[in-house]
Amino acid sequence: MNILLQTILDAAAAGIMWYCVGFGFAFGQGENPNKFIGDAMFGLARYSTHYTGSGTGRWTDFFFQWAFCATAATIPAGAVAERFNFNAYLGYSMFIAGFVYPVVAHWAWCPQGWLGFATVKPLLDTGYIDFAGSGVIHMTGGLAGLIGAAMVGPRLGRFDADGNPVEMPGHSAILVVLGTVLLWFGWYGFNPTSMLAIDTYAYANVVGRSAVTTTLSGAAGGIACLLGGFIRRRGWDLVGLCNGILCGFVAITACCHVVEPWAAIICGVVAGIWFDFLCWVLLKLKIDDPLSAGPMHFGTGMWGVFFTGLLAKQEYITEAYNRTEDKMYGAFYPHSNGKLLACQIIGILAIIGWVGGTMTIFFGIFKFFGALRIPPEVEEMGLDRSKHGGSAYNGGGMGVSPSAPGNDVMRNQQQPSIKVLPMNG
Amino acid sequence: MADEALDLCISTLTVNGTFSNDQAKALCSQFAEASSTSAGMTDLVVGLNTLYLTSCGALVFVMHAGFAMLCAGAIRSKNTMNILLQTVMDAAVSAIAFYILGYGFAYGLGDKPNGFIGDALFGMARWYSKNNNDLVGEGWQNWFFQWAFAATATTIPAGAVAERLNFNAYLIYSFFISAFVYPVVVHWVWGWEGWLGMLRNPELTHLFRSGMIDFAGSGVVHMTGGLAGLAGCLMVGPRMGRFDSNGNPVEMPGHSATLVVLGTVLLWFGWYGFNPGSQLLISSLDNASVVGRAAVTTTLSGAAGCLSCLLTAFFRHKAWDLLAGCNGALVGFVTVTAGANVLEPWAALICGLTGGWVFDFVCWVFLKLRIDDPLSAAPMHAFCGAWGVFFVGLLAKREYVCASYAKDCSQWVPHGLFYEGDGRLLASQVIGIICIFAWVFGLMSMLFAVLKFAKILRISAEEEQAGLDVSKHGGSAYNYDHGLGKPEKAQALGL
Repeated sequence: MNILLQTILDAAAAGIMWYCVGFGFAFGQGENPNKFIGDAMFGLARYSTHYTGSGTGRWTDFFFQWAFCATAATIPAGAVAERFNFNAYLGYSMFIAGFVYPVVAHWAWCPQGWLGFATVKPLLDTGYIDFAGSGVIHMTGGLAGLIGAAMVGPRLGRFDADGNPVEMPGHSAILVVLGTVLLWFGWYGFNPTSMLAIDTYAYANVVGRSAVTTTLSGAAGGIACLLGGFIRRRGWDLVGLCNGILCGFVAITACCHVVEPWAAIICGVVAGIWFDFLCWVLLKLKIDDPLSAGPMHFGTGMWGVFFTGLLAKQEYITEAYNRTEDKMYGAFYPHSNGKLLACQIIGILAIIGWVGGTMTIFFGIFKFFGALRIPPEVEEMGLDRSKHGGSAYNGGGMGVSPSAPGNDVMRNQQQPSIKVLPMNG
Repeated sequence: MADEALDLCISTLTVNGTFSNDQAKALCSQFAEASSTSAGMTDLVVGLNTLYLTSCGALVFVMHAGFAMLCAGAIRSKNTMNILLQTVMDAAVSAIAFYILGYGFAYGLGDKPNGFIGDALFGMARWYSKNNNDLVGEGWQNWFFQWAFAATATTIPAGAVAERLNFNAYLIYSFFISAFVYPVVVHWVWGWEGWLGMLRNPELTHLFRSGMIDFAGSGVVHMTGGLAGLAGCLMVGPRMGRFDSNGNPVEMPGHSATLVVLGTVLLWFGWYGFNPGSQLLISSLDNASVVGRAAVTTTLSGAAGCLSCLLTAFFRHKAWDLLAGCNGALVGFVTVTAGANVLEPWAALICGLTGGWVFDFVCWVFLKLRIDDPLSAAPMHAFCGAWGVFFVGLLAKREYVCASYAKDCSQWVPHGLFYEGDGRLLASQVIGIICIFAWVFGLMSMLFAVLKFAKILRISAEEEQAGLDVSKHGGSAYNYDHGLGKPEKAQALGL
């Protein structure tokens, strides 16, 4: 219940904050447009006279960009799950949606921003490519989550007295899979639609290609993690497969529009391997990230941004951005001047600096006042019973419902196995 | 063209001296601006079709999600992780396989185009030089949309072999179906050079001078998947305990009706991408009307199938069986998939109704033959898919065929036997059914036989008894803690 509530809530909180200040900070181009932050359209004021820095400048752009903002705001929830103070959660949702994320979006996606590719005066005359937001969204959310997870500390019992991790598996593989396939489906809106328009031949190509590369990267990441898990543990790990697929999507999000299909496969495979490595690192550092949101979003998001600098293809960049200047394409293509890769690296560092700085201070303040974490008794009993009025499941739950209609025909022949054999890890 | 429109506009405005010539020109050119540049029109058309097909492809993918939930709910909980893993995994494997080989075998037109198999576009090589089309541009979304269909065909067998198939066998056959078996059938029926289909190049001879119609793939997708499932099902044998020592079936219901329904409605929703999207274009009046009609016929057939199976179950068992209703709806969708574009709405109702009867009959036969198909995937997809293909040969309407395939209705076009047709279409449908059966069932039986010989087809008896989840996948799908934070606590409290 707790995490479900948090997730719904930050869609709502992001909506309000995005309307009040976020959209303005991100895309507002007012009297003194500057490269750092937007300065117009707070509360959508004078909407009709201020061109939004996004798409065709219509209402749908506000809505579309909100959906992205809500994504960034909700990613950290997975990293701080099961022990986070609710006020701190509400606070950071609003802070990320209203300020931290919009500033990054302004840098990368507003024509006035200092960092982005399609801007008025691009960095190094080139600019940083991040199509649907591996950096802007996923690195931002993932790093915020990682910092939160590190500062709030691991769940009780997650690491034993010797510092070894104790298995804490989730409670429903069904929900993990349902979530994964819904995310997969939705990603076909996240990536292809980030072209923002489809009324030209070139844009239509970009949209179609994005659907292809997104699919291939997710597939490759999933298989990489599945095989990696099998090699390490001799078991076929469902959650590993699902995570790998999502990692592939996160990574390709930066460059789905400008890489070849075979490059998308490479992107996904490396994302999966990199993810598994980062998960291992986190355990060694005794940071408890229940959803592995840090490795997935921050880690593979960073990989995706970097990969763009390696294998973005000139013809595809031209299709997406209408820019034909020479040599500002991926470094692995011959005769590249490497500036794109440089911009990608600068972008990574800037995002790390900004998000790391703001979120450390933010969480630090809550921690100082002892308002970051829930008390141990509450954590023992579970947040649902302590804070949310009861269990999410009353009488069985989605998978096992003795009283569900139709069960006189489909009798429950067997109780679900409650003997858990954890994967050694 | 544009000039004629412009002149007409000017002459209309200047008649009776309402406007001067210059005024009229100024006014009319405003309207002529955006829409009459042929480049502008092409851009819009390409954009529209791209948007349409990409959205439909995403919807077809939702069907994969639905199938995962359906499978999970219809089997015992101790194997839930396994089937979920298989279903998600075959989405991933089919993408890679279809990229490397499958799309090329299906649609590649290389130096030696032939009716049997494609010979280009492997790994999407030389994609730009093969495409470039006024209606769909470079058509990247074509790969995406076709992959979604390949993923569907690849995942259907999972239901038939559930709860006892070795995972390595599953990996191998997923790759084989999406890389080779399925694409060849696609080439036959939907390829420009394909020997079987009506879509074949009009300048080449068609089968029976007609060719087979299979709009969204009752034959190509559902028969392929269902027959692969049947082959696997026969080779791997029934689940332990499914038939007692007298050969009578023992009830083995699934563990969650909720998941079955969730799966069914997700499949229903996604089918609106599967069928209407198979028109591939929406940029003309004819195309748009086919798309709309396909949504109607899909709905009606599913509804009729649901009610058909529900009533049959009531007459047999005196109970309203949820599972029968869900299966019936899916049967209705499978059967109409062949002809959603060419059937009248009332014909779609009959299609679903009769499909339900076919399904129930085949399920009964399976039990008599001691074939254990946990999801009834083979009855639903193989046999009802075949029925759907056959049905098109009976009731395909001429005018709809012309609208959907851009044919000239003043000439002969394939149409159904019951419309005073001469049976050429029906004959093509029958040949199609036979050949798809032979190809898929033959190849997949051989593959499964090889796997069986190599002793990697079935899991061991101990694993089957304990359940695949705890044996192979690290634990149960469900670790309920009832809000107490720890499953052990819930257990201790008897929850």
